[in-house]
Formats: sequence, structure tokens, C-alpha cells
Amino acid sequence: MSLLSVENLSIGYQTKKGMLKAVDHIRFDLEEGDSLGFVGESGCGKTTIGMALMGLLPENAEILEGRIRFQGRDLVSLTEPQWRQVRGAKVAMIFQAAMNALNPVFPVDEQIKEAIVTHQPDISDTDLSERIKQLFDLVDIPLARMKNYPHEYSGGMKQRAVIAMALACNPALIIADEPTTALDVIVQDQILREIKTVQQKTRTGLIFISHDIAVVASVCERICVMYAGQIVETGTRKEVFKSPRHPYTQTLLGSYLSLDNLNDIKVPDMKESPDQLTDATECQFSGSCPSCDRKCAGMSPEWIEISPTHQAFCCNPGLIRRGHGKT
Amino acid sequence: MEKPDTKNRLLVELKQVTKAYAPQKRWFARSSQPVLALNSIDLGIEHGEIFGLVGQSGSGKTTTGRLLAKLESPTAGEIYFDKTPISQLKGLHLKAYRSRVQMIFQDPYQSLNPHLSIAETVLEPLMVQQIGTADTRMEKVVHTLDLVGLSPGEAFCHRYPHQLSGGQRQRVAIARAIVLEPQFIVADEPTSMLDATIAIQLFKLLQEIKQTFGMTFLFITHNLAAARYMCDRIAVIHEGHIVEVNTADNIIRHPEHPYTKKLIKVQPGFKYGR
Repeated sequence: MSLLSVENLSIGYQTKKGMLKAVDHIRFDLEEGDSLGFVGESGCGKTTIGMALMGLLPENAEILEGRIRFQGRDLVSLTEPQWRQVRGAKVAMIFQAAMNALNPVFPVDEQIKEAIVTHQPDISDTDLSERIKQLFDLVDIPLARMKNYPHEYSGGMKQRAVIAMALACNPALIIADEPTTALDVIVQDQILREIKTVQQKTRTGLIFISHDIAVVASVCERICVMYAGQIVETGTRKEVFKSPRHPYTQTLLGSYLSLDNLNDIKVPDMKESPDQLTDATECQFSGSCPSCDRKCAGMSPEWIEISPTHQAFCCNPGLIRRGHGKT
Repeated sequence: MEKPDTKNRLLVELKQVTKAYAPQKRWFARSSQPVLALNSIDLGIEHGEIFGLVGQSGSGKTTTGRLLAKLESPTAGEIYFDKTPISQLKGLHLKAYRSRVQMIFQDPYQSLNPHLSIAETVLEPLMVQQIGTADTRMEKVVHTLDLVGLSPGEAFCHRYPHQLSGGQRQRVAIARAIVLEPQFIVADEPTSMLDATIAIQLFKLLQEIKQTFGMTFLFITHNLAAARYMCDRIAVIHEGHIVEVNTADNIIRHPEHPYTKKLIKVQPGFKYGR
């Protein structure tokens, strides 16, 4: 049985304009010790998925339908006291802004101790300090810096401390929401390696959310590409990046600047992604799609299988199966 | 820079420029050393080029941009614009300088005044510089909005920043910067807040603007790939020192300074790439 299985999940936000769907019929599975990346642009619903998995959706959000099964338990129906047993202990999150995730008035080791004591009130002092040392070792913070306050840490060290905190209770699943977006490239490189090695060492399931496809590519084994609340393509890292099939994935890859693809850059003609009302079933991407000439406007896309692990969500099976060249 | 003919072509020149920020005075703290944001840097930007300044956070790249836009003054050294030293500019001369040098800021959510409509935002530089009549100004605004891809311009005039997306706001900021047709534009991380598909469209727009008006750009970024895509020459800045200047291609293919090599090594790319 998989560690996490999400079926048909839809989440909406109650706004002045009515119910807006942020996440639309999402399904995915995550095996134990596996890593799954969500990539998409701002507003595509990737953070909403992370928040739903942590039970931290804001008040105006509502899970409209679907199930989130985690270790055989349905998370959607949990009450807040039940969530507190799960959150931090079994599912932990690495937030984007490490500077804001730490409390400035307590030393860092105290904050990590707090996370452990909350879930294991009976732990002995020796076990606790042993565990803290292990955690600092794991994320490569020198033990001498353990009792420092957050402001004495650099940005990268704070992010490591937040990773240590997420790992404190040996969770089965870690959700990392844009963990390196606030860091510059050199520190980002270190933190990504850190997350990857720690994840492999501890065999924790990892959901990694980012807008940066190259960052996702460097961490995750499997990728889901999201557009306007829907997963439009899913596959292994190799499948998605080597032979992207969905026009949106191709657009995204074609406009990503890296040092070795300057001649292949295609400037897309992207419209803003549409706001979705609850009853929308047609293709969300048809307005910006470079392949369909708007023929698909109003049509309902379906899942098309390219291989057992690689699928795309499109109205045009022929197009997807042909692959029509690499980006 | 020894040859006089290349020197003539320089639009902007920084000579031994140092910028130090004095630490805040606190009652009980011991006085600490000033922070050196720029340490005696020399830099020359030629007419009509896009010059890239690449570095990590805290390296001094934004400070350089702010000095050039004369939002701040150097602690030591001198900046020459078209062979004129800019540190002594005051009054009308400074106002004239502002019409020739414009800046595009990083965060389009903060750099636009939420109380001003798009037309008012783009109109303001023209009013301040007293260019044209009311009618010709408005024409110019609409034309500029069309030019930056907010077309039809009339449709955007009466909207406010909160009604626009991040990419559209940055286009407004670009319109505001180019409406005076300045000679030199400082673009400080203009796309770091935007998605990749939007960023690449803005890069294309900036290149078109450069072609149309023949402007010179200082393009400040932390993204080496973006700098290579956009720029003719690139300078790498590290802890207030310029460590390497070269053409964009050379700096990527034949980096000399260890810091540049490190930057290239950590650029994200695709392990299973094309």
C-alpha cells in the first residue's frame, strides 16, 4: 500500500466572485521513501496541495471532494485535535521563508526540542539531547552553534535548522514548499543536496513543491506538472524532462533559461491562467496552447497514457502519443 | 581601457567607487565598523550595450545600480556619465540627468504607487520633465503602453496596479522607465519575482526596446543564465569587488576567477536535459 494516496481531490476558495477552484481533481500516489515534485507557476495550486496535506488550509478554503489517504487513514475528515497528532509527528513541512519559521527569542536547539517534546512527552533528557545532536549532525550544523539564536545564523543555516526541525520526530512524509526560493544559487545548491541526502538516508517520503523546474529535476524522482489547478503531465524525471508531451510542459521547459540551452529558447505567448469556476471541465490551457490553435477550446481533456509511469492530460491523444519532437 | 578610442565610447564609467554604509547608532552597542558594500570598483559601460552585473545577495550589485541612478552617492570615487562627473549634479542639472537615466526595480508589487492609475504612473515622468502638452503627453503614454505589450493602451490607462498581474505591472514599470526615452536604464532584477514563462517574454521586450531606441542597459541579476541570454558583456561581483569582466560568451565558456567557476557550477540545469 502506498504511503500517501490522493484521489480526485478538489479544493476551492470562497471569494467575493464565488467559489474558485484552486485544485481540480488531483490524483497521485507516493510510495514510502519516494520523492514527488510539483512544478507550476504562481497560482497553479501547488501550495494549496501542500497545505491540504498538512491540514493547514486557510479558513475560506474548502475541500470540495476527494480523499487523501495517508498510511491507510483518511486525512480529509480529521478534526483539529486529531490533526495535532499527525502534524509534525508523521507529516512535517519545510517552509519557504526559514527566517520567519524560527522564533527569534529562543535558541535554535530549544525550538527543535519543543517539537520533539510536544509529540513525545515521556522522552528522557539524555535521549532528547542525543536526538538533538543526531539532528544537527544530519543537517551539518556544527554542534557548537546549537545554542545560538536564529539571528546568529546565516540564511542557509536557518534553512538547515528548519529541515532539522521537520525531521525531529522521524516523520514518514515531508512536504517542502519552495524551500530554496529565498536563497541565492550557491546556498540553494547546498540545501538541495542536503534535502536529497537526508531524504535518502532516512527513507522519508518527500513532496517537493517549486516553480523552478530545474530545482525539482535535481531533487525528485517523479514529477507532476501543474497548470491552473490541474496536473497536466506526470512521469519520472527522465520522462518529463527528456520527452515532455503536454504542450504546457514543453512551453515551461522551452522558456527556462539555463546555461546550456540558450539557442533553444522559445518565447511563449502566454496568457494569464484563467480563474476557474467550479463547473469548468474544459481544457484550461487552450487559450495559450501553441499546438492546438484553439481547436480544443471547450473540449474536455482526458488522461492519455504514454507509458505506465508517464501520462498527460490533453484533448489531443494523437499529439501526445506522437510526442511531436523535443522542446 | 588604455586605448583612447574605446574610452570615447564609454557612456558610464565608475572610477574607484566605494560605498560604505555606516552602522546604525545604538545606545548600548559598541560602535561597529561601517559595512563596505562596494570596495573601490572600476567599471565601464559602452554606448548601446546591455551590460550584466551578476552576483549573490549582498555582493553590492543593487548598490551599484542605485549609485548609477543617483539614488545614493558614493563614499569615495567618481561616476562619469557621458564624461560628466555626476556627484556634483544639483538642481536643473540633476533633473536633466534623471531624464537620461531611469531605473526598473525588482518588485513590481512595491514599485508602483497603488493610488495612481496606469496612465498617471506613466504620465508622471513627462509632467515632472514638462515635456509636451496635455494631449501629446497622453498620446505618448498610450503609445508607450502599446509598445510594452499592454495593448490596446487605452484599455489599460484607467486601471490600477492591483488589477494587473505581476507581469503586467512590470510592463508598466518598464513603460514608466522608457517614456522619457532615456539613454541609460538600470534594470535591477526585473524578473526575479516573475514566473519563467513571463520572465522570458519580458527579456524579449527589453531587447526589442533596446533595438528600437538604442538604449544602454545595466542588467543586474543573480541568474547567470539570464545574464548570458540578455547581455553583451558581464561583470561578476563578489563581496564588493568586481572579480571578472568579459563578454557574455567568454565568461561562461572560459571563466577565470574561482568564484565565477563556482557560480557556473551551481547554476541549476537538467541532469536529464536536452
